[in-house]
Amino acid sequence: MIAFGSSITEPDVYQRCAEPGIRRAAESDSEIRAMAAIGSIFSSYNALLDEFAEREDLEALVLVHQDAEIVDTDFCATVRGALADPEVGLVGCVGAIGVRSIAWWEASVTCASFINRYDEHGGGDLPSFSWAWNDAPAYARVGEVETLDGFVLVLSPWVVRNIRFDEQLGEFHGYDLDLCLQVREAGRKVMTADFRAIHYRQLDMVPDPEPWVDAHVKLADKWDGRMGIGTGAGSWRDRALRAEADAEAALMLAHMNSLESDARVLDLQRALVETTESISWRITAPLRWLHRTAPNRRRPELTPRSLSKSLTSAETP
Amino acid sequence: MIAFGSSISGGEAYRRYAEPGIRLAAEPDSEVFAFAAVEPIARTYNLLLEAAAAREDLEALALVHPHTEIVDPQFCAKVRTALADPEVGVVGCAGARRVHSIAWWEGDVVRANVRQRYEEYGGGEIESVSWAQRQPPPGEVQALDGQLLVLSPWAVRNVRFDETLLLGHGFDLDFSLQVRAAGRKLMVADLHVSHHRSLELISDLEVWIEAHIRMAEKWSGTLDDVPADDAGWKRRARRAEARREAARAIAMSESLKLDARVLELEQEFKQKTGTTSWRLTAPLRALNQLRRERSEGRREA
Repeated sequence: MIAFGSSITEPDVYQRCAEPGIRRAAESDSEIRAMAAIGSIFSSYNALLDEFAEREDLEALVLVHQDAEIVDTDFCATVRGALADPEVGLVGCVGAIGVRSIAWWEASVTCASFINRYDEHGGGDLPSFSWAWNDAPAYARVGEVETLDGFVLVLSPWVVRNIRFDEQLGEFHGYDLDLCLQVREAGRKVMTADFRAIHYRQLDMVPDPEPWVDAHVKLADKWDGRMGIGTGAGSWRDRALRAEADAEAALMLAHMNSLESDARVLDLQRALVETTESISWRITAPLRWLHRTAPNRRRPELTPRSLSKSLTSAETP
Repeated sequence: MIAFGSSISGGEAYRRYAEPGIRLAAEPDSEVFAFAAVEPIARTYNLLLEAAAAREDLEALALVHPHTEIVDPQFCAKVRTALADPEVGVVGCAGARRVHSIAWWEGDVVRANVRQRYEEYGGGEIESVSWAQRQPPPGEVQALDGQLLVLSPWAVRNVRFDETLLLGHGFDLDFSLQVRAAGRKLMVADLHVSHHRSLELISDLEVWIEAHIRMAEKWSGTLDDVPADDAGWKRRARRAEARREAARAIAMSESLKLDARVLELEQEFKQKTGTTSWRLTAPLRALNQLRRERSEGRREA
């Protein structure tokens, strides 16, 4: 039995995002546990692990963020395929190697089969590089990785029974990297597999920088060079001075991006104003008004569906 | 006599921006030292200081970046007021307190009416260091922005730019710290200035990073607290590396937000200009454009 679990802080988000994906992916005997969060994500997920650990028929536990939607209908088959190797402890659809910190995206990402769906500025999708394998770069592949993005995590029964999220690490950030490190330290593999998901999230990657920085430091201190975490080139002094310089260079880039954004937006706004204040725009206003107010029968939809419908009706005697 | 000096690496920028500003601000007896740039910038600035120091009647030397345009007819009067306090060594139009690095704008910024004029995307004007929380002048600061530095006669005769700083960034912070180390004050005055520069604030980020490190090494203990031992450096490195990765994520987020904002407006624009009525009236606009161009051509002729 493949079980699904979610820790929920915003029920409407769960209903809109995670629930449809779980229903799509689940099998008739799958158990779905949509649990109200009981504190940090570490504690909530541990509660889910405790709940399923005793289930003898457990094939896998899938932990799904409330804002993540599994896309594949054959998800369970993919999971079974990945977990057929008893050495595999964890499976995900986004992973990286060469990871030194919770900023796994700064490492060499090997698989990223997800879309970041955002609401800002009218909304949109940012498909990651292996969302569509036809367009994926040469480095995109499924296989063994050092860490997974935790928005959809598949745990083997062995992990459910033997490993726990480290509740000392904080509230949210770093729970996924730490779990992957524990599993790998225990000799099991962490793998990416060929399934896809949508992550409904804002464009801010780190909306809460201070807790994120604290988690980064805590995790680096905990692993302190083991499994490559917290390592770097040079003395501690060299590393401090370089990182401080790099950080301010990155902030400068952020400022530049923000200035460029303002300038480009201003330019487009000017073009829009020029358009809508031009004589030709004003003299054609009645046409647009007519177009907007005309009854639907005067505006046949030219979608492929309506076209095929009209062809069908034309053939009918 | 209030003198003006500029290190000119591109004659065009000086002619277009700095020179008209100096002409606006200068008094009849003002001397203008316009020197060809010698690398590093500290070398040219020291040449300017040597030239100005020879003038016994010197009241101040304004070092003007070629892309900086003084737009303040009251400039000299404001400089005299700011330098009336003999403790003031240098006056500028922007600077900051609680400065920890060459990125002075990450401190508590004090800034006069300084505008940044850019040419990209049809051109425009924004407030300088628009992203920072700013205090208005006058105000004492720890570092001044090098786009405009007005030096007292004491600073001209007693402090020199560090010519060992070869990377071109941070000369202003270094000079500021030297002046303060000598016991003089740095002030931001209400000097109105336009800075004509690209939206790309730094084009050579790797060089800037190296300059940042060099300056941190040179002023270790002044810009920061030096850890007592290796464990202290380790703690500092850990936090710095975390902040670096957060900053990179923030930069990436800004870039994503930029794309999303632009995409939204581009779609709106496409929607508006894709209507039948807009397409029908295209010949009218083309004719209108042609008429405008001909009329401009006749005017120019």
